[in-house]
Amino acid sequence: MPWYLYLALKQLFPTGRRFPFFTVISILGVALGVALLVVSTSVMGGFGYEIRRMIVDTQGDVQIRARGFINDPAELQARVAKVPGVVATTPFAEGVVMLQCDRKPAFPAIQGVDVDRVTKVVPLERYIRVGSLEDLDDDSIVLSAKLAQSIGARLGSKVEVYSPLLLERLKSDEVLLPRELTVVGIFEIGHQQLDSSVVLVTLRLMQDLYGLGHAVHGINVKIADGLDADVAAGRINRALGAQSSAQARSWIEVNEDFLFVLQLEKNMIFFLLTFIIIVAAFSVTSSLLISVVRKTREIGLIGALGGKPRHVAACFCFQGFLIGFAGTVTGLALGFGALYFRNDAIRVFTQLTGSEEVLVRFYQFSQLPAHTSRGDVTMIVVCSVVISTLAGMLPAWRAARLKPVEALRSE
Amino acid sequence: MSNPIVTARALAKTFRSGDGRIEVLRGVDLDVAAGESVSIRGESGSGKSTLLNLLAGLDAPDAGSLAWEGAPADAGRRAQFLGMVFQSFYLIPELDALQNVLMAARMLKPPDVAERARAKDLLARVGLAERTRHLPAQLSGGERQRVAVARALMNSPRLMLADEPTGNLDEHTGEAVIALLLGLCAETGTALVLVTHNAAHAAKCARGLRLHDGRFA
Repeated sequence: MPWYLYLALKQLFPTGRRFPFFTVISILGVALGVALLVVSTSVMGGFGYEIRRMIVDTQGDVQIRARGFINDPAELQARVAKVPGVVATTPFAEGVVMLQCDRKPAFPAIQGVDVDRVTKVVPLERYIRVGSLEDLDDDSIVLSAKLAQSIGARLGSKVEVYSPLLLERLKSDEVLLPRELTVVGIFEIGHQQLDSSVVLVTLRLMQDLYGLGHAVHGINVKIADGLDADVAAGRINRALGAQSSAQARSWIEVNEDFLFVLQLEKNMIFFLLTFIIIVAAFSVTSSLLISVVRKTREIGLIGALGGKPRHVAACFCFQGFLIGFAGTVTGLALGFGALYFRNDAIRVFTQLTGSEEVLVRFYQFSQLPAHTSRGDVTMIVVCSVVISTLAGMLPAWRAARLKPVEALRSE
Repeated sequence: MSNPIVTARALAKTFRSGDGRIEVLRGVDLDVAAGESVSIRGESGSGKSTLLNLLAGLDAPDAGSLAWEGAPADAGRRAQFLGMVFQSFYLIPELDALQNVLMAARMLKPPDVAERARAKDLLARVGLAERTRHLPAQLSGGERQRVAVARALMNSPRLMLADEPTGNLDEHTGEAVIALLLGLCAETGTALVLVTHNAAHAAKCARGLRLHDGRFA
């Protein structure tokens, strides 16, 4: 090992001393910053991951929509089914209705689904909390959990559904009665908006309520695992041809703005928390500067022994790097440890403060989601080590500028 | 003089002090032969340490020339060519005695088994065979200086420069260190330039010089 690396190691970890105070404090500073970054990016990643999963679980991987209606969904589904990578398709129709239960009105979004095919594309049954999707027929309805709660509907309750078609008919002096449907299921996805304003009916009933005939608003597509949704959407569009009014878009493209905001939030948190490492790096700089002043005569001696200024600089830069490296490793261990015990910590906290119910009500979780991506960890490690190494630059420059003869003479 | 290890010609050095200038060295000539021991005495501020720094290549003269073994002095050769002993020992506190001695070898390349053995041998020769793993803080002043002597000899230098090596030691210990220094230099054929205030120590060198008013008297 070259002398400057050896001396850097010895100055950080002197012979005969197990935990040098300055080294431990400097390493801890960097470690805390890294740990906080790991925890926050993982939790943000966890939320993002859950939201993305929720989107795919409710919309499918690819969605096909036309400018107006898709009048022959069966023919379109048959063409799409032949596209490599397409696993299943399901048509849907959507709109808004007025819904009433015991004179309590609500205006939810309504979605008509093909009960036989929908679960092949989106795992809706996973989110059914009460009842069953299999019981859904043309005289029944599945409500979202918060909506059911707000109108006081339960399994077996009767709800009246008023569609915009009723108003249209009213203009022609026709009177249509609202459809009375039985609640056969209540679902909860974990998303505030979806859980408070969505109802599901059969596709046939929805077509009836909106007077669509056999037309649908779109087709959800399930693609093979591992296949990129954008690639699949591209393939489907090529299969549909340029003349087709229908167009396939991946879930990523459909939710582009929302995903951008999610990523932006995560990036902002990363950016802000990086300042913790920068502050820790300032402390490393300060400690190393003090070390340069304290070791002025030793630096002079190194010069007298034949050490070159650039090697003296390398010695202090390497100390910054070592502190950064050790701090990063410690911080990763602390961060992943904190993530491992995060739910235990939340449980203890909520039990102590009696806030478990509040947590579930407002944030839709009782367990903190976490998803650590390799890219995030790489970014944290690179940032931490580079910033810490840069922190050693100023002390290194100061040390390299010392003239041996003046350094040896210093008191 | 045959085989001059150091050849200094008309060395001059001036320092600024406030608005004035102090001429510390005014044309010093010096030749030191291989294996020769030379003492330099003089009053405080006479330029002894400045001359030693110039001879070591740690400082550049304002005028004059310096050659090591006939070639211009080059800082890159310093680690191999010369060893230095200082009044304040200057041991690295984080390293034990053996590691401090090996530090001189490290400046050239990572030490191998033979160099480790040589460092231990040198420590044994300065009477510290049992204290190789002791940190400087655990050694007395005399022991520290003996470690510094061993370090200075580690790379088998052609020239040893000693700047008041007994200045921080009691008389008895100082005597022992000077005897050690002279003995080891004579044994290894290393030329010695000893800067000292002590007339008795200076008298032990083969040649004595006195620096006065920036010149050899």
